[in-house]
Amino acid sequence: MMTTAVPPVAPGALPYDDAEMPLSLVQTRTRRFVLRVIWSSTAFLVVAGILGLLLRLRQGEVISMGDNFWYAVMTAHGLGAFIAWAGFFLMGITFWVLMKVGMPLRSFVLPELMYWSMMLGVVGIVLTTLLSGFGGSWVFLYPLPFFSAGQWSDTVTGIFSTSVLLAGVSILAYCAAVLQTCLSPALKAEKDTLGQRIGLTFGFGLLFPSRFKTKRGKIAYPVLPFAVNAVDMFLATLPFALLLVFNIVQSVNNGFSINVLLAGNLLWAFGHPVVYLLLFPAAATYYYLIPRYAGRELVAGKAVAVAWLIALTMNLFVWAHHLYMNYPDGENVQQTLGTIMQPTTYALVLPSALSLYSIAATIYRSNFQWNVASKFLVAGIVSWLVAGLQGIINATAAFQDTLHNTLWIVGHFHNMAFLNMGLLIFGAMYAFLPELMGRPWWNERLGSWHLWGTIVGAYGWVTCQMIQGLEGAPRRWAVLPSEYLTLTHISLGFLALLVAAQLVFAYNLWTTLRRSPFDDPKAVSVLGGTQR
Amino acid sequence: MMTSLGKGIATGYLVFVALGLIIAFGVLWSTKRGRREGGQGVDIERAERAEPWWGVFVVVLLAILLGMTIWRAPWFTEGDDPRDVQVKVTGIQFGFLVQPTTVKAGQNVQFNVTSKDVNHAMALFNPQGQMIMNVQAVPEYTISRSYRFTEPGTYTIRCFEFCGYQHHKMIYPAFQVTA
Repeated sequence: MMTTAVPPVAPGALPYDDAEMPLSLVQTRTRRFVLRVIWSSTAFLVVAGILGLLLRLRQGEVISMGDNFWYAVMTAHGLGAFIAWAGFFLMGITFWVLMKVGMPLRSFVLPELMYWSMMLGVVGIVLTTLLSGFGGSWVFLYPLPFFSAGQWSDTVTGIFSTSVLLAGVSILAYCAAVLQTCLSPALKAEKDTLGQRIGLTFGFGLLFPSRFKTKRGKIAYPVLPFAVNAVDMFLATLPFALLLVFNIVQSVNNGFSINVLLAGNLLWAFGHPVVYLLLFPAAATYYYLIPRYAGRELVAGKAVAVAWLIALTMNLFVWAHHLYMNYPDGENVQQTLGTIMQPTTYALVLPSALSLYSIAATIYRSNFQWNVASKFLVAGIVSWLVAGLQGIINATAAFQDTLHNTLWIVGHFHNMAFLNMGLLIFGAMYAFLPELMGRPWWNERLGSWHLWGTIVGAYGWVTCQMIQGLEGAPRRWAVLPSEYLTLTHISLGFLALLVAAQLVFAYNLWTTLRRSPFDDPKAVSVLGGTQR
Repeated sequence: MMTSLGKGIATGYLVFVALGLIIAFGVLWSTKRGRREGGQGVDIERAERAEPWWGVFVVVLLAILLGMTIWRAPWFTEGDDPRDVQVKVTGIQFGFLVQPTTVKAGQNVQFNVTSKDVNHAMALFNPQGQMIMNVQAVPEYTISRSYRFTEPGTYTIRCFEFCGYQHHKMIYPAFQVTA
C-alpha cells in the first residue's frame, strides 16, 4: 500500500500553513479543474511520447516512414510534449499550489478559456501535422511554412498557425488568471492597495519588510516564480502571436510577406521564454513541496527575491542567443544583440543557482521524508543542475561552431524538459493525486520501478544524443549519416527501458483509479477530508 | 568525431557535473544525520546569510567565462588577414550551389553564404568527419566567414538548418582542397 500524499505539517510550522484553506466549494471546483488538466495533459504525453519513439526508431532504421511524415511527426511531437503535456500540466497544477498557499482562484472564466483554447489548439495541430502533412517543425522558421516543396498547402499553414495561436491564447489566459489570483485580497496586505499587492507579489516584502507587510507574515515563496512567469509569458507571447497573425495573413494573401530576420526575432522572443513557462512553475512547485518533505521552511532570504526580479527583467532580453549564427554582413544590430544577450542569458543562471542553493539548504540535515514523490522531486532537482550547466554552454556564442543545431541541443532540452520538469511532474502526480482523487496510490514498489526506469532510460538516451551532437550529428534529420547509427541503436535500448517504466506507471495509475473511491482516508492527508 | 573544441566542452561539462553530483550526494546523505537530529541541527539563519555569497560566487564564475569567450564569438573572430579566395555558397531546397568548388591548402578562404528560398545552414566537415564551421544561410542576406585550410582532401557540406522534407539529403559531398 502506498501513501505518498504531501505530508501534513503542524499549523505554524511553515510560513503558509495548510490549515488556512479557502471555502470547500472553491476547493472542490479547483480540484476538478486541475484533475481535468492533469488527465488531458497526460493523454497528450502518451501521444507525444509515442511520436517521439517513432522518430528515434526511424533514425535507427528500425522502421520505415515517409520523409515528410517524419517531419510532420517531429512537429507534432515537439509541440505536443513541450506545450500540450509539460506546459499544460504545470499551468494546471499552478492553481492547486496557489490554493494550497492560501490564494484560491477568484474566477474560473480565465482557467476555462485556458483549458479549451489549449484543447482546440492541440486538435488543430494534430490534424494539420499528422493528417495534412504540415512538417515545418515546432519553430516553423519563416518563410519555410510557405516553401513546402509541395508537401502541404498555404491553407494548411494558415490552419496550423491558427491552432498554435489558440495555444498562445491559452497561455495568455493562464498568465491573466495567475496575476488575478496573485494580486488578490488573499495576499492580506497590511495596507491593501494595488501598489502594495504588486510589491508583495514580486518579492518586495522580502527585500523591504517594513514597507511591504502582510497580515500573515512572509509571502509564500511559490508566488514569486508563478507571478514572474505570468508577466514574462504574457509579454513574450504577444510578438509570437503577431508572427502567427502574419502567417495567417500570408496564407490567404500570397502578396504579403515579412522580413526574415524580423520573423526570427519575433519567434525567439517567445521561443526561449517559453522554456520558463515550464521551469518557473516547476521551481514554484519545488518551493512548495520540498519544505513539506524536509519539515522546515524554505531556506531563502533576500537573495531569492533579487534573483526573481532579475528573472522578471532578463527573461525578456535573451532571445537573440538563438540567433547567434544569424549575423548578416552589414547588419550590426544582430551582432550587437548577440553580444548583449550572452551576458543577459548568463544572468538567468542566478534564479536557478539561488533556487538550487535554497532547496539544497532546505534538505541539508533535515528529517527528510523519503518516498516515491520526494525521490522524483530530488531527481528532478539534480537534473535541473545538470541541464543548467548544459544551458550555460549553449548560451556561449563561441561554442556555436560545434553545437549549433546538433543533437547536443536536442539532448539538452530533453534533459531539461523531461528529466527536470518531467520528473517534477511525475513527483507532483505522486504527491498531489492522492488528495486530488481522494485515494492513495496502489503500489509503492511500482512507483520505484517507474522512478529508476525513467532515470536510467532517459539519461542513457539523452547522453547518447549529446555525444552524437558533440560529434557533429545534426538535429532534425530524418535519416542520420551512417557514422551515428551505433549510438542511435544504443539509445533505443535506453528508450525501451524508459517506455517500460512509463507502462509500469500507467498500470499503477490505472489500478489506482479502479480502486473503490475514498477507501483510505489517511491518504488524503492535506485536505483533511474526502469530499469530492 | 569530436573537434578539439568539442572535447574541451565535454571535459569542462563533465568536471562541473561531477562536482555538482558530489555536492548533491553530500546534501542527500546528510539527511541520515538530520534524521538522528530531528532536523534541528542546522543553523538556518547562517545558511540564509551565506546565500548572497553563493550568488556572488556564481556571478564571478560566469563573468570569468564571459570574459574568456565573448571575444571568440563568430562575429568577432574574422580578423583582418587578406582573403586569398572567395567562395559563394547558396542554399536552395535541397542542395548547395558552390562556386568555386576547389581551393588550395594554405589559402585563407572567405565563404559568402546565402539562400535562394528558406533558411539553411552550411556546416563544413573536414575529411576526418569533424565539423569545423557552421554558418547560417539566410534568404536576402549574406553571411561571410573565413577559414584557412591547412589540410588537403575532400570536405563535405551538410545543411544544418531545417529546410523541408528533403533536409537530410541536402549534402554537398565534394568541396576539394588541393595540396
